[in-house]
Amino acid sequence: MRVARPRRSRRTLVIVAVLVLLSVTLITFDARSGTSRLTAGIKSVAHDVFAPIVAGVNDVLRPIGDFFAGSVHYGALQQENQLLQATIGQLRLQLREVQGEAKQQEELHALEGLPYLASLKTVTAQMINFNVSNFDADITISKGRDQGVTVGEPVVGAGGLIGQVTEASHTTAVVQLITDPRSSVGVAFGPTNQLYGQASGQGIGKPLAVDLVPAGTPLHKGEKMYTNGLNDAQYPQGIPVGSVASFRGTVGGGSMVVTIDPLADLGQLAYVAVVQWSPGL
Amino acid sequence: MTGREVTRGLLVLIVALVLQLTVGLDLWVAGAHPELMIGLAAVAGLVGGPERGAVAGFCTGIAIDLFLPTPFGLSALVGTLIGAAAGQLANSGVDRSHPLFGPGVATIASAIGVIMFAVLGTVLGQPDMLTTGLGAAVLVVSVANGILSYPMTGVCRWAFGQEASGAAWRGTLVSGDAP
Repeated sequence: MRVARPRRSRRTLVIVAVLVLLSVTLITFDARSGTSRLTAGIKSVAHDVFAPIVAGVNDVLRPIGDFFAGSVHYGALQQENQLLQATIGQLRLQLREVQGEAKQQEELHALEGLPYLASLKTVTAQMINFNVSNFDADITISKGRDQGVTVGEPVVGAGGLIGQVTEASHTTAVVQLITDPRSSVGVAFGPTNQLYGQASGQGIGKPLAVDLVPAGTPLHKGEKMYTNGLNDAQYPQGIPVGSVASFRGTVGGGSMVVTIDPLADLGQLAYVAVVQWSPGL
Repeated sequence: MTGREVTRGLLVLIVALVLQLTVGLDLWVAGAHPELMIGLAAVAGLVGGPERGAVAGFCTGIAIDLFLPTPFGLSALVGTLIGAAAGQLANSGVDRSHPLFGPGVATIASAIGVIMFAVLGTVLGQPDMLTTGLGAAVLVVSVANGILSYPMTGVCRWAFGQEASGAAWRGTLVSGDAP
């Protein structure tokens, strides 16, 4: 037995070391531009395989979750007898479904009439997942390469820009929201949109920080900012991004600290529109 | 590992992944949601020992990496280390008879896993992982996995063929990982 334990420990160490090495190798592969396509391809297949399963499970579980959520939020009903609670809960659920459908219809109508999209084609998609990671702001939508959605295309919701497609499988796509810390959008503002800045995400639920705004730039709260079409043309020009939430000069006086709130409601994204426009055009 | 363990393990992995991508993402509390996969890695280590913990952690990590925008392999690296460490702790001779031993280890291991993920992500160039919602993520993930460690333990025991043993993390370890 005394001989077996060191052998076992050694074997454990070897297994852990091999797995760590394998993980580091995968991370390195993913970071290199030449091989990152391989990992992107694997991810794409996984999305295609799991999308229908996840959608099916959500269809079954979400109404149950809504039912329980409704029960929790309407605490006064807990005094009622069990049968009455169940009945009321079901009625609430039905009402929410109707309201939800009405809201979805409103969102769809709003998407159809987006003025800033002008002649650009769009693909309307449904959001199927929100924030898979605790550290990133992204959503998964129900349209992918088969429907013409490709990486880099801007995505808008009723109200304005919500983000950009970062991954696209055959049937789904991942959209990085403008609040994601990795997101950066070139913005224009001012009376004739002649002033430029760079709006960067600061995390879910937080305003965007706008850099490169010179000190003394005339601003007012609520002023709207639009995509400027620059920044290597990551986005087409003129999509509403956000409205000024706060601004102040820096201690050094060289530039201003400006934050903007997204114009699109990023917490309510039942439907979005993917703009058929490629960066660099 | 036997063929039966591999089959059962794969089944558990797929079910856990689907639950994470559905119910897990819907449980949005204080700006964060539970991360079942890191909890599963820790519990697998507790139940199966460091080798199985490391393998389970690697597999759960790779599975969730397929759906994350962070570097591919990052969750696998964290899962491997957490699973192995939890298994090593279970085999280190500490008193495992307390009923809160398993949930406690799952809670702490999950918290360490989330922090490790954020630190390694930052090292790899991911912005703001140490500032954006780290506290909420640590809290939500660790508490959720502490609670869920009970059902996870049963599932891991089933996967490792330990159905007949006693309390989960006190159960007899199967061949290959005996302390």
